[in-house]
Amino acid sequence: MKLKNVVKSAGILGALGLGSVAAQAMADQEYLLTITRPNQLHVIDMSSNTIARTCDIPGPFGTGSIALSPDNTHAYVLSNGTKDVYGFDIRNCDITFKAEQSSPTEQVISMQSIAVSADGKELYTVQNPIKKLSDRFEVEQPRLAVFDIDDGMNAKVVRTFPVDRRITKIAVTDENEVILGGADLKGINPNTGEVRMVSKLANWEKGPLWLPPDAFAMHSQGEQMHEYIMPYVTAKFDSEEWNFETAEWWWGISRVDLKTGKATRDEVLPFQFIIFNFVADPRNPDILYGAFNTLSKHDISKKETLIVHQMPHTYYDLNISGDGKTIYVGGTSSDISVHNSDTLEKIGSIQLTGDMSTSDLRVATIRN
Amino acid sequence: MAPTNKSTRRTLIGSGVLLLAGMASVSVQADDARQIIRDRCLACHTESGDRSTPSFSRISEQRKTPEGWQFTINRMINLRGLDISADEKRELIRYLADTQGLAPSEAEPFRYLLEQDTNLVEEGGDPALAETCARCHSAARFGLQRRTTEEWQLLVNFHMGQFPTTEFHSLARDRKWYEIAHDEVAVKLGEQYPLLTPAWDNWKQAVKTDLDGRWRVTGFVPGKGEYDAWMSASKADDGRYNLTLEGQYTDGSPLSGSGKATVYTGYEWRATLDIDGVKMRQVMAADAKGESMKGRMFLAAEREIGGALNAVKDTQAAAVVAVMPSYLRVGESTELTIIGQNLNGDVDLGPGVKVEKLLDRSDDRIHLIAKATGSEGVQSIQVGKAELASGLAVYSELARVDVMPKNAVARIGGLSQMPKVRTAYRAVGYSAGVDGKPGTEDDLRLGYMPASWSIKPADEIAAEDKDAQFAGSIDAAGIFTPGDDGPNPQRKMSANNVGRLTVVANVEEAGKQVAGEGSLIVSVPDFVRRVLD
Repeated sequence: MKLKNVVKSAGILGALGLGSVAAQAMADQEYLLTITRPNQLHVIDMSSNTIARTCDIPGPFGTGSIALSPDNTHAYVLSNGTKDVYGFDIRNCDITFKAEQSSPTEQVISMQSIAVSADGKELYTVQNPIKKLSDRFEVEQPRLAVFDIDDGMNAKVVRTFPVDRRITKIAVTDENEVILGGADLKGINPNTGEVRMVSKLANWEKGPLWLPPDAFAMHSQGEQMHEYIMPYVTAKFDSEEWNFETAEWWWGISRVDLKTGKATRDEVLPFQFIIFNFVADPRNPDILYGAFNTLSKHDISKKETLIVHQMPHTYYDLNISGDGKTIYVGGTSSDISVHNSDTLEKIGSIQLTGDMSTSDLRVATIRN
Repeated sequence: MAPTNKSTRRTLIGSGVLLLAGMASVSVQADDARQIIRDRCLACHTESGDRSTPSFSRISEQRKTPEGWQFTINRMINLRGLDISADEKRELIRYLADTQGLAPSEAEPFRYLLEQDTNLVEEGGDPALAETCARCHSAARFGLQRRTTEEWQLLVNFHMGQFPTTEFHSLARDRKWYEIAHDEVAVKLGEQYPLLTPAWDNWKQAVKTDLDGRWRVTGFVPGKGEYDAWMSASKADDGRYNLTLEGQYTDGSPLSGSGKATVYTGYEWRATLDIDGVKMRQVMAADAKGESMKGRMFLAAEREIGGALNAVKDTQAAAVVAVMPSYLRVGESTELTIIGQNLNGDVDLGPGVKVEKLLDRSDDRIHLIAKATGSEGVQSIQVGKAELASGLAVYSELARVDVMPKNAVARIGGLSQMPKVRTAYRAVGYSAGVDGKPGTEDDLRLGYMPASWSIKPADEIAAEDKDAQFAGSIDAAGIFTPGDDGPNPQRKMSANNVGRLTVVANVEEAGKQVAGEGSLIVSVPDFVRRVLD
């Protein structure tokens, strides 16, 4: 039991927040999850924007990557420099799962990649293994590692399948295909290891005037839309002179519907400023919000930026309430900035006990 | 492990018992260093081959500079749990640099890194190496190493294991980084910077000269100015040199210090001296005869604050080593100082230059007033039979000023545990040359000139962000001091006191101002302190 003293961690407001959970116990409840340094998982009540509880994660900070069980009651996090996985019951901070991926002779890290199977029974990571020989490293093929969640606190890998290098965020479709966010978006069947191309990026066939995309999913937080978004940057040159000044620069997204496993890929917005992370409005999939030095709102059906709101400091990621009305902007520092999705005006702030750094900002909806 | 044997052996060496014969000392030291490797490194590394010419896995397949070996041993201590005493470490660095070092010609293109003079933009170089390695490191970092192809590949693997995010970085994740680095770039490195080279074979065979004796030294210390001095080096029993340095700055104030030097690989001079209460480092390379050395001297605590250093050995022969200042304007009577040794005989400053008055003369410096009446050009100057080629630039009009360094990075600091990283500037004057146009190839380099210094924002965005107000200030001596670190609530987005500046040097001559500009980036602290960047 790792339930922290609520009053200590969040003050009186925290206690009130917990109270409101009890009051709404019969309704669906949304929680915002994030991790701060040194290594705490915060469960934030989105009805009051207060910290409901704070769970200590064993070991040093990883990258703050979080995956949810399908019923959203459990969160799995990467810790210890992304070598270890811990599972928490977010309702009480109980640690229910632990997997140490590295051994004295093999260093294994997972670069953000962690997901739970559609039936909630298995946990998937992409492992990047390095064999540690006495006086040298040997680089091994990355692999999808499958853990049985019922193995609990001493979980060991039950199956592995080879995958590409450079995979970051992964996600699971309703048909239990694991989407692998790498140089291309691929999907792997975690029972057979069979891999299919979901959406070509590095190997796209857009012609020679298009810059190979720089695609990178440090975060992908499409839980409200049940989708996976891989953002990328590309440019269309006007000639083979490769003039970067006159090229058209674009934001693009590869977008996987996690219900069907179907993907689309398109250049959605002119590149005007840096956006670290996109999230879609659950009411309208053409409306995207983006965060970094600005919070921005876009209509990708028109390839237009609708509103740009200057932020007081850099934020890495964002998420949205299930009703689409409230945006939460987080990462980097120790405050989550709360905004009205219509106007992007700031309507609140949630102060945390440490810096979020690269941590995810996930929404767990516990349905009654 | 045989610590008792080893420490006994070293005690004997230290007392000189085993150093009766010069010939024996080399092999005894080699035996001793190899024993350190056997005692300290073989828990992980393996030994093969003949015991008298052993090969140690990973170690024997590399050659590098003394700093390179220091870096490697530091890593073994910090990352791999190597337990080694300071004496053993020093001995091992010396042995490895001596037996697996770089030939002078191999180190020559990259001496700026050894001299810790990192405010420059590297140009040229292989694009594949630049994209794969020099996107994080200087090109000198790997240019100062020699390895077998397999060893370069193991270095790629080291990056993958030690810094697993490497292949996820920008400019890595958009390509098959590991495959490119391991299968293509490491192979190229093995061809370009191989373990075995004729240059190294030749240097190993070359006779190395001891560098003890008296050295006529000239140089520059930021904030103090140019100086000339005598440095004496006497070799001690431990193979190091005891140093004393006595001289004066151009304003007449004295300079005095003492310290120790170690010579690696037969030519790499590394010294630490206390000069008037300030710890300074010297990094120089000796020429093949061991009669002259060139390099840089800088503050031990602040490697960016330093200047050129030249040393010419006193071989009893007359020599002119410098003229201060190195330029003379036509028609203007000017005080000059000739620096040299064993100077006697007539002073000849070249055609059209007249010595108007001899102010003061000794056998190592001549102070005079000269006036040029002739045309522009770089003159050789002579004192008796001693000649300094291209010693004095005679010119009619200053036309161009270059700011050195042209591109620099300063770093905010001071409030956190990280010190501020300052930048030391100098202005170099040129005349327009025969074509009368400044900025062309025939411009005549006159030398370093006194300047008045200022900063301004680099462009409109920097002006809008008030970079010149927040990022720091420059003093009369041309030393830029950056602002404090940490978020600044007075700035947009509470930004740190970072900025992009233009540094301006104004040189005044005959009522006319000539300005030069340099580009300065004031960046965030660099929390990783490397032996070599």
